[in-house]
Amino acid sequence: MDQSEIDTLLAGGTKSPKKPKISAPVKDPVPVPPVLAAEPHAEPKADGSGHVISELDTVTAVTERESNKVMDQLDQIGQLVNRQQLLITEIMAHEGAQAPDIQKVVHEVMSAGKEIQDKVFEAMDLMQFQDITRQKLERILHHLRQIHDYIVDLLGTGLKSESQRPSISHTIAQTGTTPDENKAHADAVIEAFKSKKKG
Amino acid sequence: MKILIVDDSSTMRRIIINTLSRIGYTDVVEGDNGKSGLERLGQGGVEMIITDWNMPEMDGLEFVKTVRVQNPVIPILMVTTNAAKEDIVEALQAGVNNYVVKPFTPETLKEKIESLLG
Repeated sequence: MDQSEIDTLLAGGTKSPKKPKISAPVKDPVPVPPVLAAEPHAEPKADGSGHVISELDTVTAVTERESNKVMDQLDQIGQLVNRQQLLITEIMAHEGAQAPDIQKVVHEVMSAGKEIQDKVFEAMDLMQFQDITRQKLERILHHLRQIHDYIVDLLGTGLKSESQRPSISHTIAQTGTTPDENKAHADAVIEAFKSKKKG
Repeated sequence: MKILIVDDSSTMRRIIINTLSRIGYTDVVEGDNGKSGLERLGQGGVEMIITDWNMPEMDGLEFVKTVRVQNPVIPILMVTTNAAKEDIVEALQAGVNNYVVKPFTPETLKEKIESLLG
């Protein structure tokens, strides 16, 4: 997310700054960067409600897109390391590279390349935080929508929030950020279920 | 072996695809919700399903139930943030063969896939 996107989000998420003293209606008062305009739910509802909901939707969409950019970069690093390994293998086949000292250095370079590759994979795995954070935000959005729809019902005006939303987890209290922290618990439940089914 | 990955997060699909490729599974098809997952499944050739739970249009639980009506044997692994005991039980009752809670390590995904295929 670049600075202009952050600024736009911050501007939309809080009260508008002082309005310019312009008497004539402004056709396009806030230029929306194309990058945000393209996101789903980026536009607030016509009745002005659901603004926070649409802003949070934008945040989740933007973070997913940016996460994919990070994944692209990691993919490229991985490919470059692969290419480097291939080139080193070719070098090792040359007659001049058979000296023990050279072979030792080449092996060290290969080993370092393998370590980089492992770190790239680890970094990719850590990108799971994006999906987990998104789902936590979805849960907050779900509650905001419920409040919003309740008020709409109460006042008998405005539009209800859209219905096509992802289902949400019943609780986020148990959703951690450390890989496999729920594995033992899940495995125990699966085992108990299977034993019960057999019995 | 062709594996169907159903998840509305493109980041998560990439993570799963990367993990699968590291353990030798490169034939992958994708869906971003239960409905598109069913469409992919209908095209044939899928031998295993990895699905998320929380998705728009058709969630993972409904997807699994629908798949099980048509295909009672295909291995299904659910990979989700839902960690509550009642969620895991509900998924197993719906027809899921195994269950992974996000975030996971590649070793866990590998272990679960191998246990399903073994």
